[in-house]
This record gives sequence, structure tokens and C-alpha cells, in this order.
Amino acid sequence: MITFKKVTKKYKDDFTALDDVSLEIKDGEFVSLVGAAGAGKSTLIKMLIKEEVPSSGQVIIDGMDLADVANREIPFLRRKIGTIFQDFKLLDSKTAFENVAFALEVSGVHEEEIKEDTTQVLAIVGLSDKHRNFPKEMSGGEKQRLAIARALIHRPKIILADEPTGNLDMVNSYEVIKLLWKINEIGTTVILATHNREIVNTIGRRVVTLEQGKLVRDQAEGGKYII
Amino acid sequence: MNEHKRHPKSDDNFIAEPVDSPHAHQAETTGVAFSRILKSGWISFKRNPVLSIGATGVMTLTLLVFSGLLMLNFFTAQTVNYFNDKVDITAYFKLDAKEDQILKIQNDLQKLPTVKEVGYVSPDQALAEFKEKHKNNQVILDSLEELGKNPLAASLNVRATERGEFKEIADFLEGHDLRAVIDKINYQENQVYINRIQAISRGLSWWGLLTSLFLIIVAVLVMFNTIRFAIYNQAREIEIMRLVGASNWHIGGPFMMAGVLYGLFASAVTLIIFYPLVYFITRKLVSLDADIAALNLFGYFVSHWYLVLLAILGAGLVLGIGSSLIAIRRHLKV
Repeated sequence: MITFKKVTKKYKDDFTALDDVSLEIKDGEFVSLVGAAGAGKSTLIKMLIKEEVPSSGQVIIDGMDLADVANREIPFLRRKIGTIFQDFKLLDSKTAFENVAFALEVSGVHEEEIKEDTTQVLAIVGLSDKHRNFPKEMSGGEKQRLAIARALIHRPKIILADEPTGNLDMVNSYEVIKLLWKINEIGTTVILATHNREIVNTIGRRVVTLEQGKLVRDQAEGGKYII
Repeated sequence: MNEHKRHPKSDDNFIAEPVDSPHAHQAETTGVAFSRILKSGWISFKRNPVLSIGATGVMTLTLLVFSGLLMLNFFTAQTVNYFNDKVDITAYFKLDAKEDQILKIQNDLQKLPTVKEVGYVSPDQALAEFKEKHKNNQVILDSLEELGKNPLAASLNVRATERGEFKEIADFLEGHDLRAVIDKINYQENQVYINRIQAISRGLSWWGLLTSLFLIIVAVLVMFNTIRFAIYNQAREIEIMRLVGASNWHIGGPFMMAGVLYGLFASAVTLIIFYPLVYFITRKLVSLDADIAALNLFGYFVSHWYLVLLAILGAGLVLGIGSSLIAIRRHLKV
């Protein structure tokens, strides 16, 4: 369970990114986080991997206050949470296989295990036949699926997707959403930040709406994108 | 990858890996980690060959001056020892001098504040030493036999105190009541040599230290910037590493390894230059003065190679690791 308790984030120039946000997300939920650019979606997501810390309030995952997570423990936190971004964040000099394997290499995993797990996860996202391709040889949808494969490699309990379809056409966007759905079906909590109305309405699950840092609407199952 | 594998029980501490988990991704194996860090350190070194060679070159220069200081200090210490061991004043007695007369003079000498020690060499001892010295020369030994009696006189070997006021001692002997039994008085101005060597050495050491200090600063700056450049160059990789949960050790390790490599290469080049240089200097000294050549600079550094290796390698590694640590701390936020 993820809990935001009265979370406020102010930046140095007095810009308030999040304003007194309280939110609870249960295990296995699929939550769409919607709002215009600058509404605070990304800040909320960054707080979950402790890339940002609240100015006040608490962020709690499974009873653990992230304020108590020491800097040297942050890598372990991030291995428990998969993240996906609009710009994919792939390494152009590495093949699809190597991009995924890299996440395991930097965690000190053995070679045989890397090979086995990477092969499996590439199959899950449907990129088995592309494992030797470089990102520049892949379509946007394939790149994002590759990023999802990398996010899945540590078998996270939570997947954070920050505008994952922002750079994709409709067809590819749906492929990515279908994949997130599949991941959610097997029990992973998915938090999807987006401003794509059609996608949110198609998903039809819980929708949390942010406006200028404030939580203005929290619709349960069957939520729609309303601004 | 199946379902239960991917989802540890939710009541477990979120970060800590459950003990019974079939999934052991967090159990970092130091060996695997180390070899990967070594590899990426080498890649980081190789990626900017010009910068890396520059950094290694500056460090080599620093280490060379450092080893020059090492050599100078050793040479000074050895030369000073050599002159210190030499006797300042020797009084040779006439063959008919009585032992109690000699001992009386020895006793009087020891009372002088400028005298450090007085050694008495009896005619028998002198003969023994002479025979030992010429044991390979049968002609001399035969003629000694021929002679039948000991032709050597007794002597007193006087060593002055540090201030080396040998002149005063010599004057004292000249004016002694028993001057008549003394055949001749020899003295060497050893202390003057020692003072001169020490003065030169102090000057050289001072300049050497200044140069070293300057070069150390330059070397650290060059290496710091090289590593900073590498960090900026790999900003994207580093961002992704953070994202996928790479430990700080994995992010910073390769850059520290690059620093270690600079240290290793610079030490190796320094040693390759150092030994031929010492050999050359030793040969020069041999042609200069046989006594000084006996110090055998080259022989010393060859037989004490492990100390030289330790000092140069140690200095190289401290410089390399030190500057990469500064760069990592300031630019990697780990």
C-alpha cells in the first residue's frame, strides 16, 4: 500500500508543485494520474523513488516512511519499483538485450541469471526477436516496451509510468497500455501519469486528478478524464 | 518468470529482500561486481585516450621527481654515514712507544669535550688488520714473514664530536708532554665534507619538495578534470544507472578504477625510467670517485626493489584514487 499524507512540495523559487496531497493506493490497483502539464504528476511519481523529497508530509510504502530510507538504501528502493518515462531513457550504444541486462549488471547479478531473466522478460513484452537490435532500429512502441522490460527485470511490486505514451501514436500507445494492463493483472500496482484523455477513458479504472498541485478529484473504478 | 516470484509477500519490509525469496537479485556478489567495475573503469580510461595519456604523463612526472627525492635522500644519508665512519685524526706512535704512554694520551684525549671517541690500535692489531687487508697478496705476506718482527706501530684513532673541532685536538696532541713518542699526526676534514654535502642536499631537497608539491597540485587538477569530463560524458548512463537501482559503488566505482589505472600506469612508467637512470648515475659516480662509487646506488635500489615499488606505487595510487574521489564526490553526488 502506498500512502501520501498531507504531502506538500515547494521549490526554492516558492513554486508549489504539490499542495497538501493525501492519497492511498492499495496493492494491485491501476491508478491513472491525470492533469495538465505542471499539475504535479511527475513530482508525485518522483517522490516514490525518492528522487524528490516532500517539503512537508509523509510518503509511506508498505508501512515504511521514505524519509527513513537512507541514501545508501535508495538503490534497493529503486529495484523494487519499476519506472517508465516518456523519453524511454534507453542507452543507444547497447542492444535491446544489453539495455535490459544492464539493470541487472549494475546490481551485481551473475551472468547466467542475467541471461535467463533478460530472455524471459523480453518474451513477456514481445521483443524476443528484437533482442539484438539497437534502440535506433526500433519503433517508438518497441522502445517503450523495451523500457517496460527493463522496469520489470527486478520483479517490482510497483510500476510507475510517467507519460509513457507521450511520444507514441495511438496504435503503439494502446500496445503499451495493454502491456501495463497485463502487468497489473498479475498483481503489480501500476501508477500511470498521463494527460491522454482517450487512454484514460479506455482504461476505465481509478482516476486521480491533480490541478496546480492540488488533488481535486479521486474517482474510483470506471473513472473518466474530466478537466 | 512466474507470478509468485515477482511478488514477494506484501507484509515484508518493502526494501529488505525476504529471506525465503527465490529471487536473489540483491545478493551482490563482490567478485562479479569487482570484475565489472574493473572492466568499465578500463573502458572509461580508454574512451578518452588523449586525456588519459595526459593525466598519466603529469602523474609520471610527479612520481619521477618524487623518486628523485627518494634517491637524493638515500644518497645523502649514505655519504654522510661514509664520512661519519671515517676517523678524523690518527696519531701514529713510534715503534718504541710504551703502551702505558699511549694509554695515558688516550685517557687525556677522552677528557676533551670535542672528542667523541678514541680507539687504540695496538701493533698486534695493526698487524692483524694489515694481514687481513693484504691476504690475497702473497708477496707482501712473504716479505712480512721474512722480516720476522712486527714493523707496524700502534696508533690512536680519534673521532671528533659533531662540531668536528679536529684542529683543537691536533693542537692538543702537538702540545702534549708525551709528544716525543708520537711519530706523526694525520687529520682529515671529514666534517667539512659532511656539512657541505648536507647543505647541498638540503637545498636540493627543498627545491625537490617545492617542485613535487607543485606537480602534485597540477597532477591532481589534471586527473580531477579528466575524471570530471568522463562523468559528464556518461551523464545519461549514470542517470539510467540510478533509475534501475545501481548501487553507489557501481556508479562511482568505474571512475575510481580509472584513477587507480592512472596510478598504476604512471608508477610503471616511472619505474621503467627510474632504474636505467639510477644505473646511469651510478656509472657516472664510479668514474668520479672510487670511494663514493663503493656506495653502489644501483645495487642498493636493486636489492631494495620492493621498497621502491611500494613507495612509487603507493604514491601513484594515493594520487590517482585521491583525485578521482574528489571528482566523484563533487560531481556524482554519491
